[in-house]
Amino acid sequence: MSHGEKAEKEATGPRSTASPAKKEYKRDIIIETTAKAMVPLILLFGMYVMVGTEGTGGGFQGGTILAAGFILYVTAFGTVKGRERMPESWNAFFKSFGLYLYNGAGQIAIIFSLGAAQFLNYSAVWPLEKIVGIAVTRGYLVAFMVSVGIGVTVMAAFVSQFFDLAWKEEDEAEGGEQPC
Amino acid sequence: MKSLSLAGLVLVLFLAGIFVYVVEDVPAFGDAKSPANRYIALFSIDAAGMVESLDAGVVPAEIKSRTEAMGFNRENYFPTLEEGNYVIARNEEDEGWDILIHEGEIFFTEPLKYYHVKEAEGKLTIYRYNWPVRVMEMTEEETGTMNAVTSGLADYRGYDTMYEETVIFSGAVSVVMLLRKRGRL
Repeated sequence: MSHGEKAEKEATGPRSTASPAKKEYKRDIIIETTAKAMVPLILLFGMYVMVGTEGTGGGFQGGTILAAGFILYVTAFGTVKGRERMPESWNAFFKSFGLYLYNGAGQIAIIFSLGAAQFLNYSAVWPLEKIVGIAVTRGYLVAFMVSVGIGVTVMAAFVSQFFDLAWKEEDEAEGGEQPC
Repeated sequence: MKSLSLAGLVLVLFLAGIFVYVVEDVPAFGDAKSPANRYIALFSIDAAGMVESLDAGVVPAEIKSRTEAMGFNRENYFPTLEEGNYVIARNEEDEGWDILIHEGEIFFTEPLKYYHVKEAEGKLTIYRYNWPVRVMEMTEEETGTMNAVTSGLADYRGYDTMYEETVIFSGAVSVVMLLRKRGRL
């Protein structure tokens, strides 16, 4: 008798819990169209803010705007499709790549001056300085290495945290399975 | 795979070596003579009879009129050297005089160091000594960046920003380690 009950439970149990988990992602035409139109603009604006260090821009703000664009995409199209667009391996790469970019901006000063200049002394990057001049060199390094490094790291950090929380919610909705 | 791990180890050791080499370039904590904290020379005048006046605690009228003519006046919201609102202190370390001005703030009543006077070869040289003013005046010449905030963020305080970014990175890595299941990369 007990064996039969157990078999019955096994037969009905997964089906009742699997049906909400296997449910198709609910598509909404308005949200998807709006997201399709907005996400490229948001990403473009994020990049503009990220390198706009001559004005009010900067790495932290630009990275946050870029992350907001990706998060809007994931909210509209679901985590599975969002993961195809922004794979986790890219996230893990970008997270440390931004840090290396910032450190590299400091270290090329040492490498180009053969150890004579200090870390983060942007004036020592003489190949670029010979072409565009000292002031523009510092501006380029600050805008395109330091700020982009900060922005890329901030963007990847936010997106990966968002994915982690979204996956955790999905796992709990699936079967109350605790992540180890 | 093994050669890849070896290359990664060599890269990490190389970066660590550069980091260790870099540490000696970090300015000492609170270094008053670091480039960002130096004075800016304004002008120099003849020192005839002015040293005694400075020692007695009175700013000569010529210094007052010259600083006001350079733009440090009431119209540009700078405190002027009026009688009674300044203090002159002898700065033994730099061998000069510091001129401190009461700005008339309600909650910060201490006098702020505004000018520094040095005597050399019969001439007095007046220096400007305020950090925000220095940023406003010298940031383009020193850093080549038009934006004072950017120069502060990425040039004068580059180490600070770099490790802020490291804090964000380690926060993200901690969240990954806490929340993520295995095999979901």
